[in-house]
Amino acid sequence: MCHALEHGGPDDEGIYSDENSGLVFGHRRLSIIDLSKNGHQPMSDVQNKVWITFNGEIYNYLDLKEKLVSLGARFNSNTDTEVIIQAYLHWGMSSFSKLRGIFAFGLYDTEKKRTYLVRDSSGVKPLYYHIEDTELSFASEVRALKKAGIATEADKSWQVRFLAYGHIPEPYTTQKDVFSLPKGEFLCWDHKKDTFEIHSYHVANSPAKIYDVLEARELIRTGLTRAVERQLVADAPIGVFLSGGTDSSIITLLANQHQLAQLKTISIFFNEKAYDERMYQNLVLEEIKGEKYAHLVRQEDFEEFLPQIIGDMDMPTTDGINTWFISRFAHQDGLKAVLSGVGADELFGGYPSFSRIKFLKKLRQFPPVSFSAARLFSSDKYRKISFLTYNHPIADYLLLRGHYSPTDIADILNMDLGEVEDILFNNKSISRIKNYNEEDAAWLELNLYMQNQLLRDTDVMGMSHGLEVRVPFLDEDFKAIAERISIDIRFDENQPKKLLIDSFNNLLPRAVWDRSKMGFTFPLQQWMREHHEINDESSYHGKRARKIVKDFKKNTMHWSKVFALYQIQRYV
Amino acid sequence: MSKKIILLTLQTFSTTGGIQKMTRTMAHSLDIISKQQQWDFKLWSLYDSRYDLMSEYLAKENFVGFGRSKMRLALDTISKGRKADILILSHINLALIGIIVKILNPKCKIWLVAHGIEVWRPLSFLKTSFLKKFCNQIICVSNFTKHQMIKWHNVGSSKCVVLNNVIDPFIIHPEEFEKPEYLLNRYSLTAENQVIFTLTRLASSEQYKGYELVIKAISHLKEKFSGLKYILAGQYDATEETRIKDLISSYNVKNEVILTGFLSERELADYFLLADLFVLPSKKEGFGIVFIEALSCGLPVICGNADGSVDAIRNGELGTAINVNDQDELEKTISSYLRSPLTVKTRQKLQKQCLQYFNENDYQQNLLRLIKDEPAA
Repeated sequence: MCHALEHGGPDDEGIYSDENSGLVFGHRRLSIIDLSKNGHQPMSDVQNKVWITFNGEIYNYLDLKEKLVSLGARFNSNTDTEVIIQAYLHWGMSSFSKLRGIFAFGLYDTEKKRTYLVRDSSGVKPLYYHIEDTELSFASEVRALKKAGIATEADKSWQVRFLAYGHIPEPYTTQKDVFSLPKGEFLCWDHKKDTFEIHSYHVANSPAKIYDVLEARELIRTGLTRAVERQLVADAPIGVFLSGGTDSSIITLLANQHQLAQLKTISIFFNEKAYDERMYQNLVLEEIKGEKYAHLVRQEDFEEFLPQIIGDMDMPTTDGINTWFISRFAHQDGLKAVLSGVGADELFGGYPSFSRIKFLKKLRQFPPVSFSAARLFSSDKYRKISFLTYNHPIADYLLLRGHYSPTDIADILNMDLGEVEDILFNNKSISRIKNYNEEDAAWLELNLYMQNQLLRDTDVMGMSHGLEVRVPFLDEDFKAIAERISIDIRFDENQPKKLLIDSFNNLLPRAVWDRSKMGFTFPLQQWMREHHEINDESSYHGKRARKIVKDFKKNTMHWSKVFALYQIQRYV
Repeated sequence: MSKKIILLTLQTFSTTGGIQKMTRTMAHSLDIISKQQQWDFKLWSLYDSRYDLMSEYLAKENFVGFGRSKMRLALDTISKGRKADILILSHINLALIGIIVKILNPKCKIWLVAHGIEVWRPLSFLKTSFLKKFCNQIICVSNFTKHQMIKWHNVGSSKCVVLNNVIDPFIIHPEEFEKPEYLLNRYSLTAENQVIFTLTRLASSEQYKGYELVIKAISHLKEKFSGLKYILAGQYDATEETRIKDLISSYNVKNEVILTGFLSERELADYFLLADLFVLPSKKEGFGIVFIEALSCGLPVICGNADGSVDAIRNGELGTAINVNDQDELEKTISSYLRSPLTVKTRQKLQKQCLQYFNENDYQQNLLRLIKDEPAA
């Protein structure tokens, strides 16, 4: 398993085993804090009461360390790993909620004979587990469980989910009985009984809502500044991804204010004029000190690296190509960690779904059956309306964000429609949508799209280059502030992310935000249409699939749908 | 002889409340009985879709979710429903379907399940005619509901059968009674904090649950019992949230009262373990399934004395019923429970008694007897 994860942990390797409990921890290290041998993992306390294998970063480790020292804790290293151990020894399970950062760890308590698997509350770091009879296995990537021969059987439903979502949504994976641990939760395995429980470690509180716009702006400014500041902690070189959009520009400008050493920025540009963001990137770059790395990605690069990108995905996804390239450049430029702007669109309403959801509310007032004829539409765009025949929150999400409709999926995979519907909608874990307002849209975007697609892809693509991607907008405390803000001031009908932009209007050049949204976008429609394998309809199985590729070549189909098909073909 | 039984419900799986929980257990029991007897059983649910089924309760092929389509329900009633030997309506609002089936097939026996407030009041002409002329048997979830049926609707006593609700077959019955560490952490409590617990829907439209009395009681009891906490759990609407928060401030019990919002089923038993006493001084419980759930985890309960709750505590054998209009009595009763802290033995004993009275096995036998029309043992 360790070997399968070497790409994400090139710096060190370690194994701990306890035969009495039948337990083994393996670790591959990417060293960012305390680069010395002191950071070797799996790590234990001096008395070997607790062992840990930890992936990620604890940003408030110095604050916690100070508190622990005052309680009598002694430290042997400068790592954040040791802080988790001491926090657990002093505070037990309640230590988990004191951690601020991006993390996934396995911690073995040798006295209680319990293993805890714990995942950060924003779900940035992945943690996959597999339970069979009396055995628990876990890893940070699915392929490690696959390669170790622990979970070799494929989940029969993954293709259906993948074609509907464009990725495989949590908690599912490509492998049977391999699940992703929900964010903010922990799994406790009792070695004496071989039983387990999964619970949230969140500490309950219901803070007051913020109704005043000036107060909200002030809290956003101080909260995000603090989040950026604490995420710059590192003993290895750290940088910022700059796309040219609002969110990464804010992060870059804030990091520039705090960075003691000079800030390194990484950006990408293209020969394709419509995708060239250099003008906006330069507006921000002019404001900052430090080394600025701009890299050209050409169509040839895309063709050359596509097989490797697909190989690095761990699980199929229609996104992540952009992150793969920028992570590669960041790695080449000597960085081990970077800050990214992910999360702002979800928290402050940067997506079209925030306005579309109100329209959806109106449509939902009709009986579901009125939309069943929509599956007969020939235009792909309108066929998605058939999701309204399903009275289910997943159907709402898929209408806003989905790729293929159930009828299309049944056609492509040559399955019964009922079977496809059962796979997609037999999910009771989601029951949130009530009001069909911006808050519900934010919930769907944060918990489904960002969680399952953006964060997973970002982490896996970063780690494939030994690069940790940090996300200040998802700092626990900052996110809590954003979610306290009343929806009336948090979202604006006419201008996406108005509150966020207004909060930083002294910092942010107007031209960066006062334009149509671009996103971190590659010219993939063109590149894929001209890709000799992707556009070769004869290599696809089934009439429906070939028709989709033909439509794509006529430019009436989005690249991400064909890319999904292309990956399915490769797996089959 | 082969029988065809249909249990028709409004909503069984897509929301969770007392009626839904009771219906799940009834469906599960009927499914098991029917398998044993080689009968044909179907659960029809108007507002659930087929994806809502919780497959542990019954086999997929025995469940029909109409997904709000009243048209489909009407068509299925006429084509298939009329062929049933027994049609059980889980709610009086389904009376019209009962009438149609009875007209089409007079041999079909129509049963109604009577829960609580939905029948303790004057009903429309259609519903009363249904009760009098079309319905063969009324399953009342408590003696109180039976008396109400007779009082309000003048139905014959012989038409009403009392069949108390029972413990959901899939709820966990703890064997150890420690307070769960993860919940202590979640609410920043220690095992020394005494916890009073209420679980109910907190709806602005249902002002009879009586938790405001408990909030007031806490303001007096907090001085006597240091470290006392009150966990008020259940989904609330915005209006009720404001009202409760205002109450909490006006009684100055911000540090004592914890509002949790919706609780997930899988953590429910752990909340009963976290608590030392369950209190719901409600005025209008048909039966109060939550009381037996609490008892099945060994948690003592205080309930109201003027509704179906008294069946759930076996007229005082398992818990204490109080006059819900008497604030003083409520406070005294809570105090007396808190003064003698709960032991593991007490918990074990309560759990055992509760499971002995309210288990699904007996429920199945009772149902079987009713279907076969045999006299009670």
